[in-house]
Amino acid sequence: MVELSEANLVRRARSGELEAMRQLYELHASRVYTVVRRLAGDDDLAADLAQDAWCNAFQKIKDFRGEAAFGTWVHRIAVNTALTQLRQRSRRRDLEQTFDGSSMLGNPDRWPASAAAERVTVQRALDELPDGYRSVLWLHDVEGYTHEEIGVRLGIAVGTSKSQLSKARARLRVLVTKSRAEVVDHGTS
Amino acid sequence: MVHPSIETLCELLDGGPAAGAGEHIAACPDCQGEMERLRNLRAELRELPPLDPPAGQWEQIEARLPIAQARGGRLSWSRPVALRAAAVAAVFVIGLGLGRLILPGASENGTSQPVAGLVVADQPPPASLADAMADVRRLGSEYDLALRNLERAAEQQGATVPTLSQQRLASLEALVEASRTALAADPTDPTLNSYLFAAIEERDAMMRQLTAAQGTSSDVLWR
Repeated sequence: MVELSEANLVRRARSGELEAMRQLYELHASRVYTVVRRLAGDDDLAADLAQDAWCNAFQKIKDFRGEAAFGTWVHRIAVNTALTQLRQRSRRRDLEQTFDGSSMLGNPDRWPASAAAERVTVQRALDELPDGYRSVLWLHDVEGYTHEEIGVRLGIAVGTSKSQLSKARARLRVLVTKSRAEVVDHGTS
Repeated sequence: MVHPSIETLCELLDGGPAAGAGEHIAACPDCQGEMERLRNLRAELRELPPLDPPAGQWEQIEARLPIAQARGGRLSWSRPVALRAAAVAAVFVIGLGLGRLILPGASENGTSQPVAGLVVADQPPPASLADAMADVRRLGSEYDLALRNLERAAEQQGATVPTLSQQRLASLEALVEASRTALAADPTDPTLNSYLFAAIEERDAMMRQLTAAQGTSSDVLWR
């Protein structure tokens, strides 16, 4: 019944019915926001990306053929929207450094002292990764993309994707280990 | 002892070839620990909880949807249907205007009325499409209010609106709605904009005739 009702919502949304679009949004808002938030590493940027993703989806909904579930389709649009804009952002900020791993953004030495004392979750460590690292890590380890697929979406070579993944995992492990050790130090001192 | 690189450990983590590192890792507690930490970290990433979008996000999305901008939330038809409807609307408006030209004494109050043109000639043109659509929405609201007032007035006086007028009004309202719908699909189409203004102009002319025929409530209808 869920599938039938969702198919009905899609059909109504394709004909331009706003209420049907709103219901589809309610059904999948969390899924879309979660993936763009993980890729963005920032609340404000994620909010913008999620808006863009939904607007893109509703503008393209006439192209949705129902070959996949609507949730899968809109999730894919969200990923593509996020990656496209992150890449454009990278170009604007000349983040070649980010993609080759030499950016200082993820260096915990540059975190504010008060923040370093916080209990840093995996989420926070993920946010601290450079955009390129975070994208490859999330796409590969959570979304299940292959290095070939990541290469196409990010415009990088397969070997670069593999290298980025290794560095991202290593950086993430260092960030998490260090922050947890600091929590222990602060907690026992 | 030389430990395998992080790249090699990651390859192994993803099920890739050991590249000769298997024996070393099997005998090295440090590397086993490193593999375990990487594996746990990946699991933690996958177990991160879903997130709720910020409150009010739908309203922001809705405001950006062209259909909502153009129509204020009205329902839409697909473009081909809307265009056909608009074409029918245009033919109807033209036909109605021609009919009134040929039979100028056929209006309900027995007086001749000027034929409405296909553009609003007696008002300055809107400065932009947004201004034009604002005019359309305002006129539409005024018309809806006027129609309700007319019905109410007719009921209170025990009078009935002439059947021909009802039919014309209903048709003209359908034309206005069809034109609006068509514009939602393509707000910048100049032909569709002309259709819409023509339909509204004709509809308003009909309302003025009816108001005069009622002879009682013009100030209520159009204040």
